[in-house]
Amino acid sequence: MLSPSPSRPFPVPARAGIGLRAQHYRDVLEQRPAVGWFEVHSENYFGAGGAPLDYLERIRAHYPLSLHGVGLSLGSADALNRAHLRKLRSLIERFEPALVSEHLCWSSIGGRYLNDLLPLPYTEEALVHVCAHIRAAQDFLGREILVENVSSYLEYAHSTIPEWEFLAAVATETGCGILLDVNNIYVSAVNHGFDADQYLRALPAAAIREMHLAGFSVNRYEDGEILIDTHSAPVAEPVWALYRQAAQQFGPVPTLIEWDTDIPPLAVLQAEMRKADAILDEERHARVA
Amino acid sequence: MPGLRDLQSRFAAAVFEEDHGRFAVEVRAGRFGGERLLQIYRHNSFASLTRALEAVYPVAARLVGDGFFRYAADCYIRQHPSTSGNLHDFGDQFAAFLEAFEPAATLPYLSDVARLEWAWHSVFHAAGHVALSLEQLAAVPAALHDRLVFALHPATQLLVSDYPILAIWQANQPEAEDLEINLAAGGVRLLVLRRGLDVEFKTLGAGEYQLLRACADGRDFATACAAALAAEPEFDLPGALQQHVLLGTIAAFHLGPGPDSTVTPQGITT
Repeated sequence: MLSPSPSRPFPVPARAGIGLRAQHYRDVLEQRPAVGWFEVHSENYFGAGGAPLDYLERIRAHYPLSLHGVGLSLGSADALNRAHLRKLRSLIERFEPALVSEHLCWSSIGGRYLNDLLPLPYTEEALVHVCAHIRAAQDFLGREILVENVSSYLEYAHSTIPEWEFLAAVATETGCGILLDVNNIYVSAVNHGFDADQYLRALPAAAIREMHLAGFSVNRYEDGEILIDTHSAPVAEPVWALYRQAAQQFGPVPTLIEWDTDIPPLAVLQAEMRKADAILDEERHARVA
Repeated sequence: MPGLRDLQSRFAAAVFEEDHGRFAVEVRAGRFGGERLLQIYRHNSFASLTRALEAVYPVAARLVGDGFFRYAADCYIRQHPSTSGNLHDFGDQFAAFLEAFEPAATLPYLSDVARLEWAWHSVFHAAGHVALSLEQLAAVPAALHDRLVFALHPATQLLVSDYPILAIWQANQPEAEDLEINLAAGGVRLLVLRRGLDVEFKTLGAGEYQLLRACADGRDFATACAAALAAEPEFDLPGALQQHVLLGTIAAFHLGPGPDSTVTPQGITT
């Protein structure tokens, strides 16, 4: 069989992409929609064979790919999980993704996994620790990884560094890239009452390799609200506004539409993607002019 | 000020409700109390692990209903915490857990249905393997047949149950018509296998099951034949062997040391 698979990674263009989920495999292969690139959750392809890898191979032949991990637990006080890293490395070898990303968080301790993206305390100790893990992961994988800021619902009493400074320091000290999740900044800014503009201004523009956009939901209580990062809704208006500001500051970078719960038809994701592409185009024109 | 390991261990204990509310003091004072904010994380972890179980065990979930399933999942998550950053690994002990789960004792077939669903899940994600041809097998001289050790395809699982679990599984698929299941219909021996990308089931006779079971356990052909014929004296052994090579159940063979040796070979070579 002739394989159109390239011998080196397609770069991910500075356009909007879509988070690829199993529900859309067939539509993507049959319709070949005009989507700049796809991103998948790395762990969904950790199996030894079968349908997920087969579909990903066929889709990869036509689109640039980004691998986005949710389970490496870079910020855990446990040692890095070597078995997990080995699976990620073989996935990278097979699919040659243009981007590989993980989260600036922890999700396991003492070998027990909570399978959630849990916030780190922003302390010197945590900074040294997570930087060592990011360096070790980059060495093991033989490439740069991007780390993503997560949404959070609580802050620790003993944190001493603002999250934006912590994120900037991680990138500066390890040489990793930043996957800037604009929705997560907004969610955490509302939950903790910080200024999202200040967050953006603190980040090193050269480290921003990718942005994420997603929808949140709201937990309502008698005495207030908490925003929850559920990836279950369209991107909210204030998040689009913050994204426009980020695009102005950091220039056009690959931007992903994420939707993981109550997944809508592909056409809905494409409509969100076109909104992001329009903002990226404006920014490109503004820079040329 | 707590160190990172101490903080994370206590956070996890709070999520699993093992710390009697003591973690809340580590949460920065804000609009809401620490316990309410921890409850969001507790909900997120349990919801994502419960969704992972529901994805693998939709039939078991349907048999017991949503409320009961969530209760069982909650108990399972506490007794068998996730040990992997890959949620597809979670739930491997769920059938054994259900077997011992007192509130499910009135559904004796439930754990076997769960076993079938884990087998489906394992086969779905298992490695592929090139097919074996009858010609390769025919090239082995007759004098060596007793020493043949067959290996099953990596994407196969064998199951045996005292209950009609395949009929139960089929009747509880989303597109299935309402069917009456006769629990007294008796047990079933099953082969779960992947053909192309699709997972399929095949019911097996007693001899066929013993033949494949012996192959899966790494026994040589002489031993496998003896087990199959002991279970079913009239068993058409050559026919079944040929059928399972063509079906892809048997994917490889190598020559073992023979009946004089006590060593059981484990490796697969073609």
